[in-house]
Amino acid sequence: MTAATLNPEQARARRIRRERVRRIVRHAILLSWTAIIVFPIFWMISTSFKDTGEWVTWPPRWLPHAPTLHNYAQIFAFSSMDPSLSRQAAEQAFSIWKGLGDAVLVCTIAALLALLLGTFLAYAISRFNVGGKYFRYTTLTIRMIPPIVVAISILIYYAVLIPYATSALFGTRISLFDTYVGLILIYTVTTLPFVIWMMLTFIDEVPYTLEHAARLMGAGRITVIRRVVLPLVASGMVVTFLFVFILNWAEFLLALTLTHPEVTTLTVLLNKFQSASEGRLYGPQAAIGTMITIPVVVLGIMIQKHLVKGFSFGTIRR
Amino acid sequence: MQCFARWLASERIFPKIPFVLVESLFIVTILIPFILTIYISFLKWRANRPFETAQFSGFENYEAVLTSDQFWLALGRTFYFAGVAVTIELVVGFVLAMLVSECTRSKKLYTTIFLVPMMIVPIVVGYNFSMIYIDSGPLNQLLAPFLEPFGIDPRIRWLSHPVAAQFAIIIADIWQWTSLTFLIFLSGFSALPRQLINAARVMGATPWQIFWRVQFPLLKPAIMIAIIIRSMEALKLFDPVVLLTFGGPGTSTQTVAYFLWEQVWVFNKFSFGAAASILLLLIFSVLIYFGIYLLIRQSAVGRTA
Repeated sequence: MTAATLNPEQARARRIRRERVRRIVRHAILLSWTAIIVFPIFWMISTSFKDTGEWVTWPPRWLPHAPTLHNYAQIFAFSSMDPSLSRQAAEQAFSIWKGLGDAVLVCTIAALLALLLGTFLAYAISRFNVGGKYFRYTTLTIRMIPPIVVAISILIYYAVLIPYATSALFGTRISLFDTYVGLILIYTVTTLPFVIWMMLTFIDEVPYTLEHAARLMGAGRITVIRRVVLPLVASGMVVTFLFVFILNWAEFLLALTLTHPEVTTLTVLLNKFQSASEGRLYGPQAAIGTMITIPVVVLGIMIQKHLVKGFSFGTIRR
Repeated sequence: MQCFARWLASERIFPKIPFVLVESLFIVTILIPFILTIYISFLKWRANRPFETAQFSGFENYEAVLTSDQFWLALGRTFYFAGVAVTIELVVGFVLAMLVSECTRSKKLYTTIFLVPMMIVPIVVGYNFSMIYIDSGPLNQLLAPFLEPFGIDPRIRWLSHPVAAQFAIIIADIWQWTSLTFLIFLSGFSALPRQLINAARVMGATPWQIFWRVQFPLLKPAIMIAIIIRSMEALKLFDPVVLLTFGGPGTSTQTVAYFLWEQVWVFNKFSFGAAASILLLLIFSVLIYFGIYLLIRQSAVGRTA
């Protein structure tokens, strides 16, 4: 009613004004969510530069009074050379090198293995319908089993059945508990469904006629895969690899339960600081947290565009 | 050798190679341990005694689990956490995606920032929030101006209060995983056909009508996917519990995953844990079946559309 009585110019001015209010409200909401997201990360980074006394002062300081690299020096164990430092620095558990090395080793090998097997299987599913129509869905069930259930059965398997079986068969007890092989194996299996899913969406996009033509011209099966299919899905494979690497990197429950004390990934290492006898070491923890976070956020932003594919299981199409 | 290679490359055998490889890997690492777990669940065995001395006990462990209040409470708590967290994540993620999809210039920037929590390792999220909730943390500092005039010491120990600790965990989950629902909804919004909305607008539909009659029905698949994926993950909640509260105070923040972990790894009750995990898997398999069914249906719809 009111809009009809206004002349066109007034109506237009009103629309513009309303549009502007909408925009301000929109940005206000989005910016406040940005603040909510940024704050915990900012706090961790800030804490990682604080000196011992500043970790838990009241009132808390938002920025370190005197920024120091002390925490980083501690976790990278540069400062252990200096005998005058606190006894905490001498504690071997501080060193991030073992955790970093183990995490990189386990995550990389597991991701590569899963990528190799998963891509091959995804190709077979896409081209030959191996395993029936619903196979691609049933593999997902493995991903959906709660990890604690997997952890309990794997623990019993690694720590009981395999030592018993090997001592009966070969005369030596081999335990996969707390070994690289054991952790790599379980990471490979738990990430395979994701690899299969992601690679399926990439391989399905490669037209079959291309392969058919190559086959007709006399190329062998392996040649077709290597020369036709692989170059076309290479970027997809890189994305899948990075995605799976991030999943393994972030994994905590299986690493916590299947390794102790030998193999230590970074997530387990961070947790160890929690239960340190001399109270929580907020500063080094923050430094380790920052070190864990940086690579995944960088990799994640690199593959951001493809993330939705991995998470939506190919059911959402852009 | 050549003959063998040709046999491997033949139409009948070649596609089966990866299938056999992967399936045998699954059998060795998932199925056999699982059968072993079922076997163990019928034994009376604690890890601090040798395995050979374990005795067959029938359904005793299952009885113990089913009559254990802690198990049911932990399970109920897990569903409660998941329900609250996922609901809020869906609503917030939806609103954010809607607002961001309306942006023009700043869309990319907002998307990048909003997706960061998803990439942060869950255990680091737990650590970050534990820093915020501690008695001399920034949360209490922000609250101090409201509390100090009333003579209340603002240094509240949030994680020592049962209900506050529960919400601390839920908030950490929301902080991290709203980014996922946001991502799913954003791609849903950007896949909406523009012509349809323009047509509705030309025909005089109000923005409210356009949203409820045109956009919302088209987004239903995305909403479904978000609900399935998030609920599945939320029910596995473990990492932030370890970092924030260790299941405490008391057992007020024990999720079912944490409860099982404590039974097996702290109290060494292996056969109890085995029985509980079998039961848990049975309960979850209903959900898993339902989730897979919905995924198949959704993707069938997506393909024909």
